[in-house]
Amino acid sequence: MRQSIVVALNRTFKHWSLLPAVVLFVALTIFPIANLVRMSVSTIEFAEGQARWTFTPAHNFSLLLADTVLWPAAVNTLVFVVVAVAVEMALGLGLALLVARLGRGKGLARTIMVLPILVPAVAIGSMWKLMYNYDFGVFNQALTALGMAPVNWLGSTSVALASVILVDIWHWVPFVFLVLFAAVEGVPNDVIEAARIDGATDAQIVRRIMIPLLKPALAIALIFRSILAFKTFDEVFLLTSGGPGTSTELVSVHLYKVFFEENQLGYGALLSLALIAAIVAFLAVSRGALAAGRSA
Amino acid sequence: MKSIQRGLCALAAVALLGIGAAGSAGAQQPFADVGKQPPITILINSSPWYAGFEKTVELYEKQTGNKVKLDATPYGGMLEKARNAVRGAKSSYDLINLDTQWTIEFYEGGFLVPYKEVDPAFDLPKEVLTYGESGYWNADKRFRSAQGGKLMAWSPNGNVLLYVYRDDLFKAAGLAPPKTWEDVLAACAKLQDPPKMYGSVMRGERGNGIRFDWMYFMLGKGAAVVRDPAGGDYTVTINSPQAKAALDLYLDVAKRCGPPNAGSLGQGDLIQLISTGKAAAGMVVSAAWNNFDDATKSAVVGKVQAVPIPRPADGKPAALLGNWNMAIPKNIPDAQRKAALAFSRWFLTAGAQRVYAEAGAIPVRDDTFRSDLAQNPKYRWMGAYLEMQKYASQELGYAEGAQVEQILGLRLNQALIGEMNSAKALNAAAKEIEELFKKNNRRTGGLTPLPE
Repeated sequence: MRQSIVVALNRTFKHWSLLPAVVLFVALTIFPIANLVRMSVSTIEFAEGQARWTFTPAHNFSLLLADTVLWPAAVNTLVFVVVAVAVEMALGLGLALLVARLGRGKGLARTIMVLPILVPAVAIGSMWKLMYNYDFGVFNQALTALGMAPVNWLGSTSVALASVILVDIWHWVPFVFLVLFAAVEGVPNDVIEAARIDGATDAQIVRRIMIPLLKPALAIALIFRSILAFKTFDEVFLLTSGGPGTSTELVSVHLYKVFFEENQLGYGALLSLALIAAIVAFLAVSRGALAAGRSA
Repeated sequence: MKSIQRGLCALAAVALLGIGAAGSAGAQQPFADVGKQPPITILINSSPWYAGFEKTVELYEKQTGNKVKLDATPYGGMLEKARNAVRGAKSSYDLINLDTQWTIEFYEGGFLVPYKEVDPAFDLPKEVLTYGESGYWNADKRFRSAQGGKLMAWSPNGNVLLYVYRDDLFKAAGLAPPKTWEDVLAACAKLQDPPKMYGSVMRGERGNGIRFDWMYFMLGKGAAVVRDPAGGDYTVTINSPQAKAALDLYLDVAKRCGPPNAGSLGQGDLIQLISTGKAAAGMVVSAAWNNFDDATKSAVVGKVQAVPIPRPADGKPAALLGNWNMAIPKNIPDAQRKAALAFSRWFLTAGAQRVYAEAGAIPVRDDTFRSDLAQNPKYRWMGAYLEMQKYASQELGYAEGAQVEQILGLRLNQALIGEMNSAKALNAAAKEIEELFKKNNRRTGGLTPLPE
């Protein structure tokens, strides 16, 4: 009898030992998301110092459909993610391959490359805002010195989004570089040497050998950067706050305004869920494309 | 009998002496005696006038022995800190400072205690400026008004915009200080020389910046966002011909007098342009004045003057108030509420307000502006400020104010950057604002749309 109890305990111990982790997971992940879902179908108002929740899913959904800023924000976000991540991937890969070929000074190059990631986003926003300043910024001073007309970097609807994307590229290329550089360093030298002996050019080595071997690292960099790009907020908020007009309004910036400036908690939660859904959909499509690429 | 007479005379003499002494004490000690109080913590914004507030608080501590902890917070963090404080079980602050546009959320949410509930005898001194009664909340009307409203907050700072101009440049060009926007346009014709010099600058950035500055034009032309919010009539009138004329005038001034990036100019940019000598004039917040006379920050020390914001030639003078409101959270113990009120009482005295002004802040008492300080060249902005208080008003003082600001801030900016014409921008704003009021069951309606 006693032995059977001990056996039963031993058999179930592995399940019980998971309990603390399960509790933590529920408390830190499931509960906040469940609360967000509950908020997204409610109107939350405050009266007499207390929050009052009313179940209004149709009302919140009607706000989503009638939101005239959301759709430009969604388009801007998509452009931002696609352009910024594509350029970052290309530059990150190029730099990783270049630095990997250096005989000396790899460590120094890596250290210098990583600096932009270390700068806080608030400092990046302030620094670039000064550099982009129409009257006092270094870019326009350089252009004027060269006899060219100053550019309205952050005040023109046709340039502002590109200016913001440039800052994001400057900030995040080092991340892609670091991930891919580690992967490039891990590619066996003998494979490259064998290709050279067989007469492969540098371009062929990169296209036919390096990129296929780097696919797992490329996928990781792409997924991480895409998720972070979808959530970009601080740089854009500091540089333009979404303006001029809606030209740099991203969904995250719009979400901030709805949540914190307009205090629409229920609708803000619904927008958050919409953003999460967009990220999941984007990742699913990317994963599908990568899987198709692998099988091809 | 004689002894009675002597007694009465002595009593009268004592009484007279007493009155004299009291009168003299009142004149010489214009601070309130608030007694011993427990320490308090104040959530305060680190705006340009913070140094003045800090210095005045130091004097309070020295005079009374009461301790005050200041949590100086950048503007961007103020609202969330205040929300977190009042929505929790117990506020970590005994006084919270709220921008005028945030107050309604806090009043309506029932997060604050009316001052008279802390001390039924408390009233604002009659000299204290109420800034369009933004510290009062009429819960029945959901509107800020002393008429049937309770005192929820007092203002430690009240801003109107001032029209700051370069006296030296204007004199050299034979120009008088501008009184109308048409004067400004005439001055720009002489002074505008981009990118070396801009004739006149004002905020155009999306959001609060353009909304606030444009409303000076709107009020000057006699236009309004809604017909009569105090009376419960929320008919949207923002697309009236007067409002369109106001927007067209604003756009004209922005384009003919400002830089090419007029649509992204914020308060910091204006201060920078004027203090570096790149702008000959501009609409700036009164709290920014010290930047122009500070030799460590300014290339135009002693060269700028201030006048009231110009009016449209066919309009009236107008001013919009943008003030801060100091309130007591409900979720603090009674002793803390009393200590917060004691500080408030002391801070609003004539003595404290003079110290506050001398330390670089903007006082909130009428008599401080009328004192000898106003004659000092250092405070030469005071005349314009006080003049504008005569007709200054609060806008968007209703529950939907924050959302209306978002709508106007976007549509006006779109008109400025050329994404839509003025009529289309105002029609779009009117439609969105009316929808908002409908959803909140307000008595609303609209005007016939402007021809686009």
